[in-house]
Amino acid sequence: MSDRHEDDRSIARRVTAIESLLVEKGLITSDVVDAVVETYERDVGPLNGARVVARAWVDAAYRERLLDDGTQAVGELGFGGAEGEHLVVLENTPTVHNVVVCTLCSCYPWPVLGLPPRWYKSFAYRSRMVREPRAVLAEFGTALGDDVEVRVWDSSADVRYMVLPLQPDGADGLAEDELVPLVTRDHMIGVVR
Amino acid sequence: MGGMHGFGPVTRDRRDRALDEPPFHEPWEARTFGLVVATSAKGLRTGSTRPAIEKIEPARYLASSYYERWAAGVEAALVAGGSLTSAEVDRRSATVGRGPTRSQATDPELAAAIRGFLNGPSPTSGEPVAAAFAVGDRVTVRRMAPVGHHRCPRYVRGVTGTVERINGGWPHPDADTPEAVYQVRFDMRDLWGNDAEPGALYVDLWERYLS
Repeated sequence: MSDRHEDDRSIARRVTAIESLLVEKGLITSDVVDAVVETYERDVGPLNGARVVARAWVDAAYRERLLDDGTQAVGELGFGGAEGEHLVVLENTPTVHNVVVCTLCSCYPWPVLGLPPRWYKSFAYRSRMVREPRAVLAEFGTALGDDVEVRVWDSSADVRYMVLPLQPDGADGLAEDELVPLVTRDHMIGVVR
Repeated sequence: MGGMHGFGPVTRDRRDRALDEPPFHEPWEARTFGLVVATSAKGLRTGSTRPAIEKIEPARYLASSYYERWAAGVEAALVAGGSLTSAEVDRRSATVGRGPTRSQATDPELAAAIRGFLNGPSPTSGEPVAAAFAVGDRVTVRRMAPVGHHRCPRYVRGVTGTVERINGGWPHPDADTPEAVYQVRFDMRDLWGNDAEPGALYVDLWERYLS
C-alpha cells in the first residue's frame, strides 16, 4: 500500500505540474477545469437516469419514445451532452436481461448516469462480463433463471447504452416521484435486475 | 481486455456500492479529468487521449490505475500538441507547491460553454450514410491485427454474427468522414465455444471491420 500511496503522490504532483504549466503559459484557466469537475460532482449523476426510468414506468408514450430514440427522449427531461449523443435504451422484459460493459476502457452514458463507478472500469469487470456474464451477475447477487436470455452490450464504439429495468413488484400505483428512489445505477448498468 | 482470464472477482467496497459514490476519489483524479476536457475545448490537443493511453506499455498499463492512465494520456497528447514537454513537466513536478498552481485569470464564457456541452440536450448524432449491409445480414468480423487505436475487440475477430441495427455513420477513429456502424449480435457459443454460457453479445462495429 505504501508504494501505491507514493505513486499517487507522485502522479498528483505531475498532474498539478501539468495544470500549473498550462496556466503559466496562459493556455488554460483553472475555472474551466473547475467547471468540468463540478458538473459531475454536483449536477450530473445517476439521479438523471432514475428520473428517466420512473417517467418511462408511468408514461407508456414516453417509454415508446425512449426506446425509439434515447437521446431525444432524455432531452425532453433536460438531460443530454457529451457521451450521450447517441443513447440507446435497452428494455428488460421477463425473458430478457441486458447488461452493459466496455471492454475497451470505460464508455458510459454520462448525461444519464454520470461518470462510471470504479468497478465498471476494473480489469475484472471488463474482461469477464463478456465471457461469463451469469457468473459475474451472481457476484452482484443477481441470479437469473434459465428462461431469461442474457444480452451483454460491449459499448466500445459511439453508441452509449442504458438499461430500462423492470418495474419492481409492488410498485404499481406509486407516483413518478416515489418511483425515482427505487432505481439505482446498478439497475441501469444491468448488474442487478 | 474482453475475455482475458485471471483478474478474479469484481470487487466493490462500501463506497463503491453507494449510489452517491463520488466520481473522483482523489483531487488529482478530478483535475486530470477536468484537464482532459478543458485542453480539448481549448484546442491544445486534437482527437481522443485514447491512442496515447493504448500506447502505454502493457505491463505498465496493467499496473496503473484508471486515472493514472488518463494522466499519462493527456500529458502525451499535450506534448504531441506542442503545449509542453515532458522535461518541463519533470522540472515543474519537483517545484509543485512553489509557485501558483491556479490561474488568477478566468474565462467565464468558456466555462459556461463547457457546462452546456457536458450537460444540455443535443440532437441525436449519427450521420445518414450508405450501408453495405442490411438488418438481418450475417456478417463475419475480419481477422486483423491493427497497430494503435481501433474499436474492434479482439474476441469478435473471425466470428460471424447478425446485423440487428444500423447506428448511422460515425467517423472511424482514424478517419474524418462518417462510415456506417452496425450493431451486431453474436451467439455466446460462437464466441467462446460450446461450453459457453447461453446468451448473446452485442457489439457496434464499423463497416471496415466486417465482410
